[in-house]
Parts: sequence; structure tokens; C-alpha cells
Amino acid sequence: MSAILQFFPERLDVNGDAQNALVLAQRARWAGIEVGLVAIAPGDRVPRERPAAVVIGSSVDAELGALRADLANFAVALSEWVAAGVPLLAVGTGFELLSDGIQFGTLDEPGELLEGVGIFPGRALPLAVRATDDLVVDVREGRLVGFENHARRFLVPADAPAFGSVVRGTGNDTRSEGSRVGSAIGTHLHGPVLAKNPVLADALLTAAFGEAYRADSPEAARVDGFAAAARSAILAKLELRG
Amino acid sequence: MTLRYIPAVLLGRAVRVAARLRKPGAGSAVPGLVVNRVAPGFLSCVLASFPDGLVVVTGSSGKSTTTKMLVALLEAHGRRVFTNPSTANISQGLSSALLERVTLGGRIDADMAVLEMDEAHGALIAPQLSPRLVLLTNVMTDQIDRFFDSEKVVAFLAKIAGRVTQTVVTNGDDAMLEELAATLPAAIRVERFGVSSTVLAGSPRGLGYSRTTSSRLADGTRVVAAEGRTATIEIGDAALTLNLPAKGVHYAVDAASALAAASSLLGADFDPELAAATIGTLAPVFARGEISTVRGVEVEFVLVQNPASFQLNVDALDERLDQVLVAMGSDVRDPAYFWPVDTRRIGRARFISGSKAAEIALQLAYQGVVVDVVEPDIPTAIDAFLALPAPSSGLKTIIFTADSMRRTRAHLGMNS
Repeated sequence: MSAILQFFPERLDVNGDAQNALVLAQRARWAGIEVGLVAIAPGDRVPRERPAAVVIGSSVDAELGALRADLANFAVALSEWVAAGVPLLAVGTGFELLSDGIQFGTLDEPGELLEGVGIFPGRALPLAVRATDDLVVDVREGRLVGFENHARRFLVPADAPAFGSVVRGTGNDTRSEGSRVGSAIGTHLHGPVLAKNPVLADALLTAAFGEAYRADSPEAARVDGFAAAARSAILAKLELRG
Repeated sequence: MTLRYIPAVLLGRAVRVAARLRKPGAGSAVPGLVVNRVAPGFLSCVLASFPDGLVVVTGSSGKSTTTKMLVALLEAHGRRVFTNPSTANISQGLSSALLERVTLGGRIDADMAVLEMDEAHGALIAPQLSPRLVLLTNVMTDQIDRFFDSEKVVAFLAKIAGRVTQTVVTNGDDAMLEELAATLPAAIRVERFGVSSTVLAGSPRGLGYSRTTSSRLADGTRVVAAEGRTATIEIGDAALTLNLPAKGVHYAVDAASALAAASSLLGADFDPELAAATIGTLAPVFARGEISTVRGVEVEFVLVQNPASFQLNVDALDERLDQVLVAMGSDVRDPAYFWPVDTRRIGRARFISGSKAAEIALQLAYQGVVVDVVEPDIPTAIDAFLALPAPSSGLKTIIFTADSMRRTRAHLGMNS
């Protein structure tokens, strides 16, 4: 049975970001694919088998140093999985932890620099004002709708691809959003981004299972109706199209 | 007290009358807003005028129930207490509540004030206050819709606690509050409440605090047993077995905190038996586990204020409830906050309502809860839900956020 890994869900689920793994698992099951939702705890052994997909959620700043240390043991495996094409979704501070590093503090008073796992090129740097609002992003798969709440921007090197472009909100720097490296996606779209944007969930599942994954299960159609209603409400408020 | 607030009081009252004429039963914050504007010193002046002092109850969760319990305990012991309704726990609402009772000279005829205070607004008006006792309930991560890290909540609470003149009653199981308590001046008494290791072990998900201390309290006011609506609480030499207003360990903790504060405030006058009996007669604060009869049907109302209280309340639901309605409104700016909650115990939701109905339907459906009807309009959903035949098991149960609660109450013509 294929595993969908959820990293440290006890601590990396501040906005329910870890539940994106549940979204992947449920949609796979609805499509008739047997999957296990596997929670990885700090100190666990690195899974021997390559997982079908990996989700890393968000935590609060005070925890990031400890979380980075706990991730160290998994750094090599994470890089190998991404190199092998395993879809990985990293959200919020989870995305920052997998980047080159996090600059704590404020614009005026820079604090400690925490070195990241290095999967996503670029660094998280303090924003003048915390970005807390709806975030609408255009990516390869379509228009994504969600929410952002972060204290840092993300500086992507010129030669590295962002995940998408910002339609409304802040993202990396009000222009680009997130980072995409092969099968790995880092984003500020926090919480249930895959539930609200089934097009992205289906892209990750297709990357994981190929043609065995079919997006047309009746269960998926029902929840995608809820997602469509939730998306329309947000887009209408922002006077944007879907 | 001087005559200088007479114009402000009169103006505030006039605004109140005008607001009520325009919209009966509403307009509670507006008079306070006006008074705060024309007489900025009004709030602090009135709050400093109680002969037995001011008590402030604050923290992430449990404020309303704790405040209600503490007021009842003090009143049972013969104290005359001024308190604010839980819907008026921010400064405008507070000034409005004071206006209801204040004389033209700016005094309220009571021995003591016990105020429930929102953390952020409390911190804002803290410099104007000198509470005799501050009760800190807990720190829970991520209040819905306000985007505070728990560190920020602690900073607010520290600001409020920093104004205390005598005693801080604090949650000894909450690691962040313990760190806060360690920073208080030595002259301030710190009294603790908490749960025993057995009670904690009986709550597999913990108590919802951002961080829980590694060991349980050896003394202080301790919940040593909690089962359904019954709890045993050790305070001083007494072990009190009492009935809670609703089931759930968190209500037992609220009771322990109120008992600790009452005992501290009343000193030798505190009567443990009277205290236990008083808690046992309390009705739940509206929609914190309250069972009401609506249109001839018994309905349990459950208010969820943040992910932790959502989880605790879902865990306290009877299993296999036949009829549940879940409503989420515009007060939830970012529904992502509810995604960490394990909602499977709801089992089946007959109706999902509120302006964020689709958002919560999505959460429930992915958790595996059967979702029947999504009807964002609350009156329509409530009418249809109440019209369902009597449930095959349990009570009709309505779980809602604050905004949906207000709309539901307004639709059903319920007060308080």
C-alpha cells in the first residue's frame, strides 16, 4: 500500500496544513487506490519505501529551530524523493524550513538566521508588515484561491522558478508566489489549499499514481462542489473570476 | 467621585435609548463608544470605585463560564457584584454595561466588580485598570480570525496581569502561563489551579493549551476526577464533588479556577460546601453546552470559539448523534483554523449553514462526516432542522460559531 506522509502533524498543523495529506489520501481512496496516511513523528526512522506523496505544514516561529533540528534526519531522504519525482507540498513555515534559510527578526532588527533543508532555492526574509489576507495565485494548473498569514516574504533567486504569480495578495513579494522545484511545491497558501483547489490535488495525485488515479469519483464531485462554492464566494468578494 | 462625568453618562444613556428605539434589543456597544470618546477617563474611574476592588478574568477560552461561576460564588457568600455580560467583554461594550448601572455621580452600587475581558482589548485598556485579582484561564493557539500567535496572546495577558495589585490566579497546567507567572513581582501572590495526572490521562488529546507543563500540580486547586457532568475538586483541605453546568473536563477546570479565585477573594469567609452547591445550580452560559426547548423541541447548543474549544466540544458530544446542524459564519475570517480539528465524532450533519457553510462542509466531508444539506441561509436551515422528526438518538444538536449563534438567536427570538 502506498503511503502519503504527513510530517510532524502534531506540530506542523497550525492552520490545518497537514490535513492536505488527508485530502490526498481521501481522494486517492475515492478513486479506488489503497493508500495509508502515515504521520511521521520527530525521531522516527526514515521510511524505507519511497512514499507516494509528502506534505509538510506550518508551525509558529518559536518552534522552527527545534523543528529544523528534527527534520535534519530526513533531509537526505526528502531530497532523494523529490529527485525521484515524488510530489511534495510544503506550506507556510514548512516551506520556509525546506528553503535555503529563514531570517528571523524584523526589517530594522534582523535576528537569527536559521539554515533550511535546501530543497527550495531562496530565503525567507522579514516583511515590514505581516501579510494576512486572501491570496489568489495563477499557477500552471489553474487559478488557486486561499489564505496567507506570514511574517516573511520569500526571495527566489533569478534562475529559480516560482510556483506561480500573484493575482491578489502578497505571496513572495506581491508578484511571484512560492517555489516549484521538480515535483516539490512550496507555498504561502495555508490551510486546506488542496481541498479548496482540487485541480492542484489532482495534479499531485496524477504525479503520484499516473493513470491509476481518476479524478471523477462521485465523492470527489460532491466535495468539489463545496470547494467551488467556497472559491466563488472568495473570488466574488475580491471581484475576480475563477 | 466628581460631577465631571454627568454629561457623558447622560449622553451615553440618550444614545442607548436612541439605539434601542431604532433597533430593539440591539445597539449595546454604541453608547459605550460615545462615552469613551467624550469622557476617556470614565471607564477607569468607575472601575476604581468598588470598595472590594476589581477582578479581571481573561485568557483564550473559558472566560464566560468562569466569570459566571465566580460571580455566583461571590454572590452566594453575600457579596454584591457588578459584572459584564459576556457579549460585552471589549471596552465599548464594557462602558455600555457600566452605563446601565452607574449613578450620575459615576458610581455603581456593588461591593466588587468581576469583569470578563477579551485579551487584546483588555491589554489595550490595562493601563487604566488596577485589578485586585487577575484570573488567567489558558492560552490556546490560534484564535479564530485574529491571527495571533500564542506568544502574542501571552504578551496581552502579561500586560493585564502586570496591572494586578494583589493576586494572580493562574492555570498551573499551562506552560505559557507558568512562564508569565515567573515574571510577576515577588509581592504578587500566585494561586494555581489545574488537573491531576489521572484527569489529564483521561483526555487523550490533552486540554487544548498551546503548551502543557510537564508535571501536574502538587497543591493548589485541582480537578482530581471528572466524569460527564460530575467533578471532584480538591481545594485546601476539602475535596468537593460537584455538578458541572455541562459535561466536559474544561468545565471542571473552569470550576476549579473560579473556586480558587473565590477562596482567595473571600479568605476565611469561603465556605467550600456552599461553593460546591452554588456551582451545581448554575445553568450553562448560553450556548456553552446549554439545552433549551425551542418550538417544543429540546435542542443542545454548542458554541465553538476556537479550534481547541471546537475539539473539546466535539469530543464531549454523545456518539452517533442522529441530528446535528453545524453553522459557521462570517466571524471566521480564515476557515483554515478549523482544519486541525478531528470532527469525525459528529458522524453525520443533517444541515450545514452560515455564510461559510461551504468551507465547513469541505472540512467535515474530508474528515468522513456524512454531509446531508448545505443551506447557507440560517433561518431556512434552522427551520428545516427543527422540523425534522424527533431524533432516533440523542438531542438535536446545533454547533455554531459566534456570528451564526447571533443569527440563530435572533431568528428564534431568544434572549440573553
